[in-house]
Amino acid sequence: MRALLTDPKDNVAIVVQAVRPGDVLEIGPGCLLKAEEEIPMGHKIALTDIPAGTMVMKFGVPIGRASADIARGTHAHTHNIEDITEELCRGYDAEYRRKAGAL
Amino acid sequence: MSLTFNGYERANGEVGIRNYVLVLSMVNCANTAAQQISWKTGAQVITHEAGCAEFSKNHARTRLGLLSAALNPNVYAVVLVGLGCEQTDHVSMMEEIRAAGKPAEYVGIQEERSLRKAVEKGVGLVEAFQREAAMQERKPFPVSRLVLGVQCGGSDWTTALSGNITIGAMTDLIVDAGGSVIISEVNGFPGSEHIIAERAVSPEVGLAVIQMCDELREEHFALHGQTIEEVNPTPGNKAGGISTLVEKSMGNVKKMGVTSKLQGLIYAGQHVLHPGLWMLDLRAPIIDGNVTSGFAMAGAHMNVFSTGRGSPLGNAVMPVLKLTGNPVSYAEMGEFLDFNAGVVLEGLPASEAGQALLEKVIAVASGELTRSEINGNFEFIIPRETNR
Repeated sequence: MRALLTDPKDNVAIVVQAVRPGDVLEIGPGCLLKAEEEIPMGHKIALTDIPAGTMVMKFGVPIGRASADIARGTHAHTHNIEDITEELCRGYDAEYRRKAGAL
Repeated sequence: MSLTFNGYERANGEVGIRNYVLVLSMVNCANTAAQQISWKTGAQVITHEAGCAEFSKNHARTRLGLLSAALNPNVYAVVLVGLGCEQTDHVSMMEEIRAAGKPAEYVGIQEERSLRKAVEKGVGLVEAFQREAAMQERKPFPVSRLVLGVQCGGSDWTTALSGNITIGAMTDLIVDAGGSVIISEVNGFPGSEHIIAERAVSPEVGLAVIQMCDELREEHFALHGQTIEEVNPTPGNKAGGISTLVEKSMGNVKKMGVTSKLQGLIYAGQHVLHPGLWMLDLRAPIIDGNVTSGFAMAGAHMNVFSTGRGSPLGNAVMPVLKLTGNPVSYAEMGEFLDFNAGVVLEGLPASEAGQALLEKVIAVASGELTRSEINGNFEFIIPRETNR
């Protein structure tokens, strides 16, 4: 069984098949992770403990903030990830404007 | 593989990949006549909900939608169907279509004094155009003449990992060959606008992208009192594993490829100013058909559309080539899907899948029918925008 990592900075991986508790997933060569709960196909599994209030990383960027502690091997989705798109956008926009102004 | 396709040369120098005769309803009251003409002839048809007693901004968009569809290079000739007393001015529209070198004729229901006679007249006009169109032969043209829209809808976890990176690889190949690709779906941008801006050909274009994202977030909030992320990702996206708008938008931008530079922004009804990668700033409601029709209005020849969960989408004036990055969807919904990018999940490099997709694009440009056409998916929506 496999899970895909989209970027080395990520703290979640995508399970390419539905998994059940106890399933062992290969995430790249020699890197194994045990699933602690059921996760539907295509959903995200936490690679490390992600404390509430910290960023969930996928594609090498924050995709949201953990709204609860997400334990390694458990399902990371809307029940424990807060959508903070608005906040992230404001930061990206300010950063780009600052850089473009400096160019 | 040769980087040429066989298309139809137009009188104004444009190239089409289909030779459609288009029946265009001028007003809601003429929709049935237009549809009956289409049923009897197999011609493409566009009907809509408007065309009379509209406020000027709304009517300007109705006219732009209809005229831009008529001017799409895939359209050989147009039959306009009106009631007779509507707001839409068929005379000026016909003049503009003819000025672009396309044959155009008009049928008015009141003038014919009968729905049956109006339909008969329309059928006669369409059939005459179809006979002319059938005489025209395809000629080889370089891929640099192609304009593609790229889009995704019914997204799931595979959209980013296989579907859209396959489109992205194809985008880079088309742009490298001197062709044009248009991205849009601007309501899906928030959260990755900085990545798009970094790909801009100049800081001015990058700032225009950032500005657009700022504006559309504000417009949505002012109009609806909700942020975009409250309605996007959709319930289906979430069931498919997408948790947040940033996660969805990071998948969205994969369609841009990795090397192509964003040349600039275009707006509804505007064509690309020169070849390359462009963004269509179209702030219409988040319905796939709005963006697809926006590409058709921008003169795109074809839309390349990736769908994880499956969609039968098509367009009245443009083939929609649909692929999925989800091998299960491809196995189960192959009846409306043209290409399987799911092999990327099994280890095929996206560059190879992108090359195979390019070959499929060239085949479709040369006349191979897409599932959207075989199935008769010929939708068209006049996109209504929040800001213009």
